[in-house]
Amino acid sequence: MVTVVSGLINVLIIAIYATVAMMIGILFMGIGRKIVARVHNRVGPPIYQGFIDIAKLILKKTNITHGWIYDLALLFSITGIVLTILFLPIGGVKLLSTEGDAFLVLYLLAIPALGFALGAGASGNPNSAIGVMRALVMMLSYELPFVISMVALMIYYDTTSIAEIVASQYGKWAILIPPFAISAAVADMALQGMLMEAPFDIPIAPHEIASGPMAEFGGKHLGSLMIYKAGTIVAYTTLFVDLFLGGGVVMKGGIVADVVNFIVWFILIFLVFTLSLLINTSFPRFRIEQAFKFYWKYEAVLAIIALVWVYWMVIS
Amino acid sequence: MVIHPVLLIAIPLLFAFLMPLLKRAKAVTIIILLFNTLLAILMFHNVYNNGPLYEIIAFSPPIGIYLYVDNIAALLAVMINLLAFINFLSVEKVEIKFAMLYLLAVASSTGIVITGDIFNMFVFFEIAAVSSYALVAWKRDKEALEGAIKYMVLGSIASVLMLVGIAFLYSEFRSLNIYDIMNRMDEGSVLILLSFAFLLTGIGVEAEIFPLNGWVPDAYQGAAGSIASLLSFGPSKAGIYAIARLLMIFSWQQSYDLALSVGIMTLLIGELAAFRQENVKRMLAYSSIGQMGLILISLSMLDSTDYAIIAFFFLLVSHAASKGALFLLSERKGFGSNASKYAGIVSVMSLIGMPPMAGFWGKWYIIMGAMQMEAWWIIAAIVFSSVVEAAYFARYLSTTMQEEEHASIIAAYPPAIMATLTLLLGILPFIYKIATIGGVING
Amino acid sequence: MVEMVFAVLIIAFIFTLFIKNNRVASIISLVVSLFPLAAFLDWGREFGINLISIGFENTMNINMAGITLHFSISPLAWFFGIMLFSLIPPILLYSYSFFSKNDGFYPFMILLMVSVMGILLSSDFLSFFLFWELMALGIFIMICRNGDRKAMVRYLSYSVLSGVLILAGIALLYHMNGTLLFAEIMLKADFETMVAITMLIIGFAIKAALMPLHTWVPPVYSTSDEPFVAFLSGGLSKIGYYGMLLLLFAMPGARVMEAYINSSIATYLLAIIGSLTAFFATFLAIFEDDLRKLLAYSSIAQLGYIAVGIGTGSSIAMAGALFQAFNHAFFKATLFLAAGSVAYRTGKWKISELGGVAYKMPLTFMAALFAIFALAAIPITSGFAAKWLLYEAAIERRYVFIAPIMLIAGVGAFLYSFRILYGVFLGENRYPDIKEAPKPMVAGMFLLVMPLIIFLIFPGYMLDMMDSFLSSAGLATISHSPYVIHTTLGNYNTIAVIVGMMFAMIPAFLIYVLRKQHLVDFEDNFIGGEIPSLYEHISMHAAHNFYKPLKDVVMPYLEGGATSIYSSLYKVVEKIADGARKIYDGVVQDYAIYVMLFLLIIAGWLLW
Repeated sequence: MVTVVSGLINVLIIAIYATVAMMIGILFMGIGRKIVARVHNRVGPPIYQGFIDIAKLILKKTNITHGWIYDLALLFSITGIVLTILFLPIGGVKLLSTEGDAFLVLYLLAIPALGFALGAGASGNPNSAIGVMRALVMMLSYELPFVISMVALMIYYDTTSIAEIVASQYGKWAILIPPFAISAAVADMALQGMLMEAPFDIPIAPHEIASGPMAEFGGKHLGSLMIYKAGTIVAYTTLFVDLFLGGGVVMKGGIVADVVNFIVWFILIFLVFTLSLLINTSFPRFRIEQAFKFYWKYEAVLAIIALVWVYWMVIS
Repeated sequence: MVIHPVLLIAIPLLFAFLMPLLKRAKAVTIIILLFNTLLAILMFHNVYNNGPLYEIIAFSPPIGIYLYVDNIAALLAVMINLLAFINFLSVEKVEIKFAMLYLLAVASSTGIVITGDIFNMFVFFEIAAVSSYALVAWKRDKEALEGAIKYMVLGSIASVLMLVGIAFLYSEFRSLNIYDIMNRMDEGSVLILLSFAFLLTGIGVEAEIFPLNGWVPDAYQGAAGSIASLLSFGPSKAGIYAIARLLMIFSWQQSYDLALSVGIMTLLIGELAAFRQENVKRMLAYSSIGQMGLILISLSMLDSTDYAIIAFFFLLVSHAASKGALFLLSERKGFGSNASKYAGIVSVMSLIGMPPMAGFWGKWYIIMGAMQMEAWWIIAAIVFSSVVEAAYFARYLSTTMQEEEHASIIAAYPPAIMATLTLLLGILPFIYKIATIGGVING
Repeated sequence: MVEMVFAVLIIAFIFTLFIKNNRVASIISLVVSLFPLAAFLDWGREFGINLISIGFENTMNINMAGITLHFSISPLAWFFGIMLFSLIPPILLYSYSFFSKNDGFYPFMILLMVSVMGILLSSDFLSFFLFWELMALGIFIMICRNGDRKAMVRYLSYSVLSGVLILAGIALLYHMNGTLLFAEIMLKADFETMVAITMLIIGFAIKAALMPLHTWVPPVYSTSDEPFVAFLSGGLSKIGYYGMLLLLFAMPGARVMEAYINSSIATYLLAIIGSLTAFFATFLAIFEDDLRKLLAYSSIAQLGYIAVGIGTGSSIAMAGALFQAFNHAFFKATLFLAAGSVAYRTGKWKISELGGVAYKMPLTFMAALFAIFALAAIPITSGFAAKWLLYEAAIERRYVFIAPIMLIAGVGAFLYSFRILYGVFLGENRYPDIKEAPKPMVAGMFLLVMPLIIFLIFPGYMLDMMDSFLSSAGLATISHSPYVIHTTLGNYNTIAVIVGMMFAMIPAFLIYVLRKQHLVDFEDNFIGGEIPSLYEHISMHAAHNFYKPLKDVVMPYLEGGATSIYSSLYKVVEKIADGARKIYDGVVQDYAIYVMLFLLIIAGWLLW
């Protein structure tokens, strides 16, 4: 009986956290537009604009579809991103992250992307196909420095579990250890690509390929894609914070600690996101091959230096 | 039951010369070859059960004809006669002269194998060579004549050298009996060494070893398919068997080393020459040279490892039957019928050394033997040449499998039967036992 | 009873040789293929897995005149047997409709079954090698049926090289141990054993298509019949790894060996080669336009992971390698069969010429989609569990080079997976008039997907299957329940993922059903204001040269790879061969001089 109750409480907590995280993501979309507008010296929309957009889109009465494969985009994108968030520790609360590890998260992030790509392919628009191609090449590009940095962390903490990595960083964030400062810098640039912010907003370049993958999406499908987009902001920034900034854990034990940690986590992901936006506003767009070279030449070399350093530290 | 090995030689010789008097050349030849085959099988049965067989004709040695048949010799006699029989079935139009020459070549090849006298061996070599020249030239076109002339020139040189070698040997031992000489052989004077050199060179021309095999590509290219096939399982196999006996007589480390180096060279050069050859018969001829090198390598290990004799046997039989089949098939551009496809694939696979064909056991035992000797050079050469061989045989199959040329039954089945022989030998490795137990080459 | 299985197979082989009717031959071979499968399922009780109980005996010795072939079952062989023989019946079912007449496919599939069974059951090197070469022969004849020169030449050369190297390795081991029995061969840590093992491993690696010995794979896979390629890629390529595992983990003394090797770089080298194979082959697959070649390179890449596992050699790695082998067998067979179905209906192989097939062949698409998910290791497919184990193993051993390479190859798999999905199945509906593949073909593909679904939910069952091998190889077994795998580094809980996924699907589903939708035409598209129907010659399918930007950057580094090295090597051999041919210049005087020179040289050598 007790286990059932505590299990239900756990499920409830997980549900609340996931919902709040998604809300934060949508909020961030609005905040992001506001910040970009301010940098551009505009007023910008209100910060709750994201909620308005999504509500409008998913409540539209006329929706079109290009067949059942096209609908997979809707199902996969939301399912995948929510699932990913469930496996990330948020502010020290582990959620399901003890049941999987960093590799699982890395691959879970591919589910919404692949679903999205399937829908884009099924829409039959050549622009969408080109957009997906760019997105996949970008993925290949930024993953290399990112996984090298991640492997360095795993070797240092001798675990693959994100929850364990977060726990090990209590009191000393990874970014404070010299080689991981390099890794964090590398991972931050990878984050720029993951969030598709400039200079890596190549896949969705509106002026070249009509927003790429989502060229044919509208109504509830587009709304779900916006939810997915909001989710990715939270998921990727949280992943970064969990890996390098100790997951925002500053206190241990009790409800108070959870609340404090949650606030710290929120501030941290907000900072990471803001940094990404600032870079976004200051740079024009790379071409896809430039992005690939950037990640595989400069970023990868830095990541490898950090990895070798860490390896040397672990061995000795 | 008393078996007279001499009948194996005498009957075909007799009928060869009676042939002009007989009307139905083809039927007579087929009957004789069949009879000979059965006789050889009986003889083998006899030898296998009762041990080696001696026969002395007319006078006592060293003057008279002395025949000596052990297990391997009997098996080779069976093989030569059986293949000659199958091969002859594929000849469509038989003239009397052709049948004569054919019988002479078969009889003399058999003679080389079962004789125990080195001068007789020379005589049989001469008969085999002369009938082969004529058979190669049988088509009477430019290629055939060219091949025959080259064969004749080299063959004549070879016979002179062989005769000189025999003369040296005789002057030293006052005997021509192989076993007599073998038992009395010691370190060897200059004369004996010279006689070995002359005999090896002389027989080597017939046994297609490098660099004495200049005639091979031209003769095989010029000859008709059935003749090329006869050459490859008849005189050349008899020749390599004669070299085996030669190595038994001159059983020094030096001569085995010589055989090894010549064998490796023959193997590599033969396979490499075949690698780029486009003409099918020529390619098969070069490939034969390579295989002869492999057989010679197996002979060079006779002294060091027990596997050598088994490897020798399987390589010899597999090569005789498979090359015979392939030369018969080379008359046509492609395989066409299923029987020909079967023959072609099985023969090629046997040469490459795939189970369940006889060639597999040859490859298995030769490498086992080489490894026992820790002879890395042999292994390296075999690895390299196998890959080259596989490449050109695959190319060969890729062209021949595609061509849909109609084949008459007479053309399609003899090669298939030969291929079946290699298959049976591979599946039923009881031959292994036969080859090892009892009389090996040295008796 | 082993005799009976062999006898049935051989009789069926001879029988099907003479049957012209495709359907009869298919049904006969399908029935026959169930015998070895039943035998292997039965033998599971030896290893604590009781699936059926028929009472097949598992040892047999054939004694023929001095040669004895020994057969018995080992846990490793059992695992591979289950894998390979459950692959065959669906493929034969598929062939029921795929071929129009029996021209050698069925008998030689049965011959391949005989050889695989022989390889797996043999417990001495002679029978192992005998059946190994029989398998090589069977594959070659299958390739011969289509008669592509490049495929035949490359395959036969590689296969003979592999055969001779293996034979040399066996001969060396025999020379040192004086026995061919697996049970009696002791591997020692000396130089000769290392040479023997190296030769054997290179020989096995050729069959397993490890780079740089892979160049026979693309031509062979792209020119042979799909049902055969499905078995070749899915099943027979694993036999190479079976050989490696047998040698490195199932021989007595192998543990001594491993203790020795751990300190050296020998197996680390195998792991590195495996990871580089996965990496480079993935890139080659990304840029390939021929669907079959793409799948061929993908096979090479996926097989590379198995080598990583074997090279790493810890129990997690071994479990990952075997799991990966099992998955690959099924998803790659499914993909090849799906490619075959598409070609059966459209007659096209080039991805840039296909497109929109999914709308008319939804079942084929679903099978292919699931296989691709497993290939790309999308969680929760069993493909993910396998790769996850391999990644864990690499991190556990601190293989800092291998882990990122494998991960990037995994990302690369998304790229070519999408290429298949979009280029072949989605996008412009170019084939509006085709029909779904015939029912037996669809059934075959779905049967192949079944195991993937089982191990999707219960990866623990797969670990159960390999437990007895791991313990017999002296490795620790991995703690697991049917749906959770624990390693020292982390956990993987499929139920958590599935429950989480259901939970996460609720909002998505709500949004989906909230508002109605209606289907629109394909032409109803936004192309920058153009109306596609007006320009019928304009292709709406952006599948040609799909990854061009990436290709422009990467391709210069990939040229000068194995293929170009081999072609320059080939040219050198050609030159030498021409030189050898020039010896036979056709001038008879020269030949006479050769004879005299030979005489002089040997006479001089003998006298001196």
